[in-house]
Amino acid sequence: MENLIEVKNVSKTFKVNKRANGIPGMVANLLVPKFEQKQAVKDISFSIKEGEMVGFVGPNGAGKSTTIKMLSGILYPDSGEIKVNGYVPYKQRKDYVGSIGVVFGQKSQLQWDLPVIDSFELLKAIYRVPEKVYQRNLERFTDMLNMGGFINQPVRQLSLGQRMRADIAAALLHSPRIVFFDEPTIGVDVVGKEKIREFIRELNRKDKVTMLFTTHDMQDIEKTCNRLIIIDKGSKVYDGTLFGIREKYGTTRQLDVEFKDNCEIEPIKNVEIKQIDELDGRKKRFIFENKDVQINELMNELLAKYNVRDLNISEPEIESIIRKIYSGKDVVL
Amino acid sequence: MKCDTFYLIGMYTKTIMKSWFQYKIDAVLRSLAVFLREATGIIVIYFTLLKFDTLNGWNLYEMLFLFSFLFVTYGILILFFTGLRDFGDTVRNGNFDRFILRPRGLLFQIIFINADWFAAIGHGCLGIALFIISAGKVGVEWNVISIFYAIVTIVGGVFIQGAIFLFLATLNIYLLETDSLKEIFYWNMRKFAGYPISIFHKGIQMIMIYIVPFAFVNYFPVQFLLRKADMAQYPSLFMYMTPLVGAGMYLLAYGFWRLSLKYYKSSGN
Repeated sequence: MENLIEVKNVSKTFKVNKRANGIPGMVANLLVPKFEQKQAVKDISFSIKEGEMVGFVGPNGAGKSTTIKMLSGILYPDSGEIKVNGYVPYKQRKDYVGSIGVVFGQKSQLQWDLPVIDSFELLKAIYRVPEKVYQRNLERFTDMLNMGGFINQPVRQLSLGQRMRADIAAALLHSPRIVFFDEPTIGVDVVGKEKIREFIRELNRKDKVTMLFTTHDMQDIEKTCNRLIIIDKGSKVYDGTLFGIREKYGTTRQLDVEFKDNCEIEPIKNVEIKQIDELDGRKKRFIFENKDVQINELMNELLAKYNVRDLNISEPEIESIIRKIYSGKDVVL
Repeated sequence: MKCDTFYLIGMYTKTIMKSWFQYKIDAVLRSLAVFLREATGIIVIYFTLLKFDTLNGWNLYEMLFLFSFLFVTYGILILFFTGLRDFGDTVRNGNFDRFILRPRGLLFQIIFINADWFAAIGHGCLGIALFIISAGKVGVEWNVISIFYAIVTIVGGVFIQGAIFLFLATLNIYLLETDSLKEIFYWNMRKFAGYPISIFHKGIQMIMIYIVPFAFVNYFPVQFLLRKADMAQYPSLFMYMTPLVGAGMYLLAYGFWRLSLKYYKSSGN
């Protein structure tokens, strides 16, 4: 399949006013402003195929939003090339933007004082959506996102979750081929989040809409995306599947064992345990590298030598793996 | 323009009206407030001139006539250029990002997405009232030519001020905050424009003619109609230049706007 999104060696630098502290600093800044170059995106490259659903993750200030803004044509890159759906976003803006939808979780595009449906009607006119397509999309989204109950209410009266659903529908009324989501679940409760994820999945599966979304909620990624791009300090640090990230970084395992009696654990032959922690009661936690330890050997050994009541093995959550990648430290489970 | 463009302008206007009617009483009060605020300035001049009779040869009605051009042009201006007046906010709160994401002209969206009807009604009504009060008493012979001239210069005056708005709005792409520049270069100059510019120091006159050319919004057009003695010190060509100055300035400001767009930095979140 063809690459729908192509990003090659893109960089973007902002000039930021560096402020000194205190009132003398403010005065000094007013007289002689000092500027600092802040590189928001450093030489990033990736490509996304039609129908892919890609999570775009990184800590605050990593350059996620800047990248999304360049992809959607809001910002000009300093260097590098971007091509989306055959267009150069920042050069062919008017022709290009009809084929994309953008949801900013932090920033509504709905008319604050007016009923949701009025904003939809306005968007229909702005995007020149044919009546038939509009009616079909409206009906479908109202149903899928459960908007029937509030579509005639002014936006200012909606809950955050309702507003977000309406905003997502608003960004999709013109049937875009590509959708960028910038934190589409921020501030939404668990049930609301689930509804949004379900909708996103469905749209990807049935309509083959290509999606790229940023979030801080790993559940969003785990439940929707099969591919993950991680950026940190403006550079891409990982690009691959969710499974692959476990393979590559999430190599520690932990085994929690509850014993019947208090006991000392003797070193086990051929089994290299990195660490044993004492937990409450008579529980101990064994931490080891997956590649060094055959789990059945360890368990057999324990079961044979000690009186074991309960066993529980777990692997690190994606969230802690990603935290590890950000900080370059070991995974703490 | 295509039919579809007019349809969208209609939709934008409908949306503005609907928002407006959400707060009916507030809407009426705000229009009234604008009217009264501006009228206060006029009343002060009214009483001053009752004492002095004339100001550099201009009597009360001629002064009101001069004022009426200022208010009528602003009333029309604000119907179309509210978005440029508020462009600083639009940039700061990230709404401009949204304009970029829609398949329509940027300036088109800025112009038609909002209109401050309160200001338009307040200024416009005051302007029309002043015009009605003074037009019959300043000795203008109202024929086809003078009416045509008045209409063309009003349009020109709208474009001159629109160009100033567009220029200041464009600066928002570089500086996040430009309200004080607007205060200095637009509102202060507009205060001077309420009087015949011949009463001011040469320096101020130069600014009013060549830099922030408010003189072409009301002074020179009114001079064409009234031919007061103080016009002798300026080239008479100036009386015919308003539409040209308007078009020229607007094109210049538009060029600056187009050139600046690629430096837009977005406001971040």
